[in-house]
Amino acid sequence: MEAMRELVAFLAKALVDDPDAVEVKVVEEDRAYVFELSVAQGDLGKVIGKEGRTARAIRTLLATMATRSRKRAILDILE
Amino acid sequence: MDNKDKPQDGALFVTGTSAATPSTRDHDVDDEGKAEEAAELLDEILELMDLDVDVDVRSEDDEEIVLDITGRDAGRAIGKKGATLDSLQFLLNKILNRQAEGRRHLVVDSGDYRERHEKGLVTLAKREAKRAVQEGRTITLQPMSARDRRVIHLSLAKLEDVTTMSQGEGTQRRIQIIPQRQGGGGGARRRG
Repeated sequence: MEAMRELVAFLAKALVDDPDAVEVKVVEEDRAYVFELSVAQGDLGKVIGKEGRTARAIRTLLATMATRSRKRAILDILE
Repeated sequence: MDNKDKPQDGALFVTGTSAATPSTRDHDVDDEGKAEEAAELLDEILELMDLDVDVDVRSEDDEEIVLDITGRDAGRAIGKKGATLDSLQFLLNKILNRQAEGRRHLVVDSGDYRERHEKGLVTLAKREAKRAVQEGRTITLQPMSARDRRVIHLSLAKLEDVTTMSQGEGTQRRIQIIPQRQGGGGGARRRG
């Protein structure tokens, strides 16, 4: 779970203009880890991407990692 | 791995006498190091994903850098229908091509995955084109990425008895293969 959080933080920081504003909180639910990503307001588009493609790519990598875990991984981008 | 120590073979690209100015040299270093930088970034992401793989620069030219993932977990790095490989490639391009200057497309591959995938697409395209002509109707393929659609459009571009179009938006965009009636109206439909 910590590795997944690190991956989300690493990718978000690499994508945005303001890496210091990147935060990832983990909420553990029964069947899933929810990764709550927040970035500077002006960087939202950088982590979401056109038609959500960037967010989808991050979710795909999380899903690949989660196949080895008992829980699903959910990425929530906080606005 | 430290390209900054690499001897500069920049003379070929140099015009005039300002070849040795620091700014020119720095630019060359940045540009030449980009493939290595990309390989290191991909390696770092795959390590965070806890995958047991290696990353090498397979090839690079002015337009494109191709990275190759090998090792025990390469199959996991490819993912279902190449989804993980495509996501890695998409993110790498987003991260490394943020500024327009020196932009080069990054391709993330694993072994001959992309080659095999493309051959599969061409085979599918030809088979479905034949079916469209035989059955005299438009055939709509599954939704595909822009790159995969391009492979199919190109592979059928030379055929005179079909045209291809894309329809739908975003991830739902699909190719249509449309049979062309030969010789205009009046049922001059092509045989075979």
